[in-house]
Amino acid sequence: MGDEALGGVYVHLPFCPYICPYCDFAKWPLRRSDAARYLSALHREIAESEPRLAENIFLGGGTPNAYDAAAIVELVARLTERFPEVDSQREITIEINPDAVRAGDIDAYARAGINRLSIGVQSFREEETRALGRRHSNADVERCVRDARKSGIRSLSVDLIFALPGQSEADWIESLDAAIALGVEHCSTYGLTIEPGTRFERLYARTPERFAEEDHEARLYEIAMDRLGAAGFEQYEISNFARPGHRSRHNGNYWRNGSYLGLGVGAASYLEGERSTATRLLAEYMEAVERGEPVPRERERLEGLARLGEAMMLALRTAQGVDASAFKQRYGIDPLVTYASTIAGFIEAGVLERSDEHLRLTRRGRLLANTVCGAFVTLE
Amino acid sequence: MEKATDHAHRLQTIANTRNFCIIAHIDHGKTTLSDRLLEMTKTIESRVLEEQQLDAMDLERERGITIRMHPVTLRYPALDGEIYRLNLIDTPGHVDFSYEVSRSLAACEGALLIIDAAQGIEAQTLANYHLALEHNLTIIPVINKIDLPAADPERVMAEIEELLVIERSECILASAKNGIGIENILEAIVARIPAPQGHTDLVRGLVFNAQFDPYRGVVSYVRVVDGAIESGTKFMSMAHERVYECTEVGLFAPQMRPTKRLSIGDVGYVIANVKSLGDIDVGDTITAANNPAHVALPGYRKAVPMVFCGLYPNEGAAYDALRDALEKLKLNDAALVFEPETSIALGFGFRCGFLGLLHMEIVQERLERDYTLDLIATSPSVVFRVTRTDGTVELVDNPSKLPPANLIAQLEEPYVKATIISPPDYVGAIMEIIQVRRGTLLNMEYLHDGRVILSYEMPLIEVIVDLFDQLKSRTKGYASLDYEPIGYRQGDLVKLEILLNGEAVDALSFIVARDKASNRGRLLAEKLKELIPRQMFEVPIQAAIGGKIVARETVSAMRKNVLAKCYGGDISRKRKLLEKQKAGKERMRRVGRVELPQEAFMAVLQLES
Repeated sequence: MGDEALGGVYVHLPFCPYICPYCDFAKWPLRRSDAARYLSALHREIAESEPRLAENIFLGGGTPNAYDAAAIVELVARLTERFPEVDSQREITIEINPDAVRAGDIDAYARAGINRLSIGVQSFREEETRALGRRHSNADVERCVRDARKSGIRSLSVDLIFALPGQSEADWIESLDAAIALGVEHCSTYGLTIEPGTRFERLYARTPERFAEEDHEARLYEIAMDRLGAAGFEQYEISNFARPGHRSRHNGNYWRNGSYLGLGVGAASYLEGERSTATRLLAEYMEAVERGEPVPRERERLEGLARLGEAMMLALRTAQGVDASAFKQRYGIDPLVTYASTIAGFIEAGVLERSDEHLRLTRRGRLLANTVCGAFVTLE
Repeated sequence: MEKATDHAHRLQTIANTRNFCIIAHIDHGKTTLSDRLLEMTKTIESRVLEEQQLDAMDLERERGITIRMHPVTLRYPALDGEIYRLNLIDTPGHVDFSYEVSRSLAACEGALLIIDAAQGIEAQTLANYHLALEHNLTIIPVINKIDLPAADPERVMAEIEELLVIERSECILASAKNGIGIENILEAIVARIPAPQGHTDLVRGLVFNAQFDPYRGVVSYVRVVDGAIESGTKFMSMAHERVYECTEVGLFAPQMRPTKRLSIGDVGYVIANVKSLGDIDVGDTITAANNPAHVALPGYRKAVPMVFCGLYPNEGAAYDALRDALEKLKLNDAALVFEPETSIALGFGFRCGFLGLLHMEIVQERLERDYTLDLIATSPSVVFRVTRTDGTVELVDNPSKLPPANLIAQLEEPYVKATIISPPDYVGAIMEIIQVRRGTLLNMEYLHDGRVILSYEMPLIEVIVDLFDQLKSRTKGYASLDYEPIGYRQGDLVKLEILLNGEAVDALSFIVARDKASNRGRLLAEKLKELIPRQMFEVPIQAAIGGKIVARETVSAMRKNVLAKCYGGDISRKRKLLEKQKAGKERMRRVGRVELPQEAFMAVLQLES
């Protein structure tokens, strides 16, 4: 067994019953034969991975629950066997699409050890849900929550998207309030991003005026911060809000620059200082595994300032921010010295704040996180 | 002593030599006709021609213009049974290079004047015609493209009679594309253009073009007017009063082919270890060092740059690379001038002078393409003549260097005479365009076909800013324009300054007519607002004249720039997005706290009047 525990294991389940027009993740429309073949490949990749302790496990997609519950249960069993828990706090999350959840699914997940659900709600307003190409109803979402509670799952998260075409402030408040009323412990809010190659990109090219302008999008984001904050959620990262004790441990590991193993097509890993991303081609992934060959990966290893810059980019996303002395110890460079003038400029601009050794984004800084974080990344 | 037979042979050679050039408005078919003449005389096989075309510089092909090609000697067995040597001398096809055109004309006895059978006489046709007349050339009008459906040779002949005062019987109808009329043209060259004449008791050769070869130094293209230039002898450049030993002379047949000597009437090349085009240049006269001529051939002048702009490397580190590239270009371009300049906004760069706007664009493109430099160019300017209150006179080629208004007694700017030919429908639009550009109508004439010739006097700066583009768009491309400098005129001019975040940006200031200044300032401020991306801070943009603010716009502070998604732990992808954003920012210029995109420095060219 490897000596150091993994911060997390991410497993990518790329099939979806239907494709949403805004999504650019590695995903394919569900075909039974592909899905079965892929699952076998995944089993083999797990079996051939070096056994290690892992703090958390995350099943993401695609739509993981496009697979039936038995397949998920089996997969989790294999994962927990190969990657035993470090302690009893282990978080095992699955992303689910509420309209693909069948009776008994969530109970089966819970019995397999899954203790956190990330529910792809996106919006509680039906016209928005439809515009996003999603087919669930609010009733589906409510049923998931009821099932989860009955099965003893105590950590539930919903994803919401704002800055949708035509979305008013009142519309957004409606979704936020519905999420709060649902009683979930965690909420992720994402501003709509127009990704290349998606249907939304083409729609945007034709009718850019239907999409939110910068100022409006900023207001919607501020509303989310205020509304969720007032309801007792703590904004512990740019896009993530949680009730006390319910932060996502798996995502937290990314921002702490912790190690993780990604399994499956397109999955990203960070092991022994090397970042790598598996091929995003489904056939290439499956064929490599079936032949017993390593999965083709794009790799990079950052050193020195580039590594520090990336760590800054990650840590600044969190409420905790950058602990300069810890950074100095870990990366061998003092960010307060190296980036002194950049930091001073940002503090003057009111987007960064510093208390002793800690640097954090201000409220305005959170709205401009790309500009701030972008200043720390290193160009070749 | 020369043998009698050699002497007779030489006289025969001179009698059978014709030196000519082809002049035309752009796109009237000069290149195609040249190619046809080469083919017809079997100077170059058509296959080779194609390859040669492919070798031509991208820039020239893309712009549909030939900047300069080397001369070619055609061997033509005429109908009279004699074999003639026809030297075709190329002329640059753009108004920026009118001095080079004049030198090429001076090397000839005759010219083919090509006129498009559908379009008729255009502004450059007239300009070229007058230039050819000044040089006493025999002009053979060729009406080209007669096979086009829209061709109207009758109308064009009427125009030629009216405007050029050439009888219609002298016109040759042709289609270079389809090989019609080519033999008639060759025969007319032999019959109508006189053979060269010259003195044998002195040596004078006209340098009508010169190229820099990295291995052999300057290759001068020479028309021998008097005497002979022999390899191994010493000659003198009369413009620069320097003596060189001639290492090689030769003819273009069509490739460079060494010979022993170049004699009266010959068009060939001279190589003599000349290191730079600054040492011998277009228009120069070369003469024998041991028996120098007293008087140089007329018409030499140093190239005078008319248009200036600042060129700055986008990265400070590229300054040396930019200087090296400019020095290399200068070897082959005597008209290009540059000197170091410093801008608060742009750092270290060069003030560069060009013959005109096209010349400027060509140099910029070459620097960017051939030397892979990433450049920022400031708006082009002209050379203003400033008389200070204390009486001293100075030339100012950079608006930011203009002395304060209270120290200026008189401010003058270069003027041109502009000729525009257009269908009558667009005369209103043209008058409007020219009027806002401070033009004064000198004359207006109607052509046979109803088209109108307008001549104006106007400031050069108004021409270079956007006149070509405006004419093209407002007349759907039907109007043609040509211009020539006519000296300095006093103007009521002011310096317009742009302030960003309260600080004046030197590279954005320009000189403008007082009564247009407020309007230009407002338009420029609006344009800059469009071009400058939102920043962390609000950015006030102000236009000021002599410290008085005449326009103000504000780029409001950036509100949101955040990438929410986590991409399933694909940190590399996220970081690369930020790297891309940062790379974009680094292409911008910082002026104080404000980040400016490169386009901002050319914004003044994009203002709608």
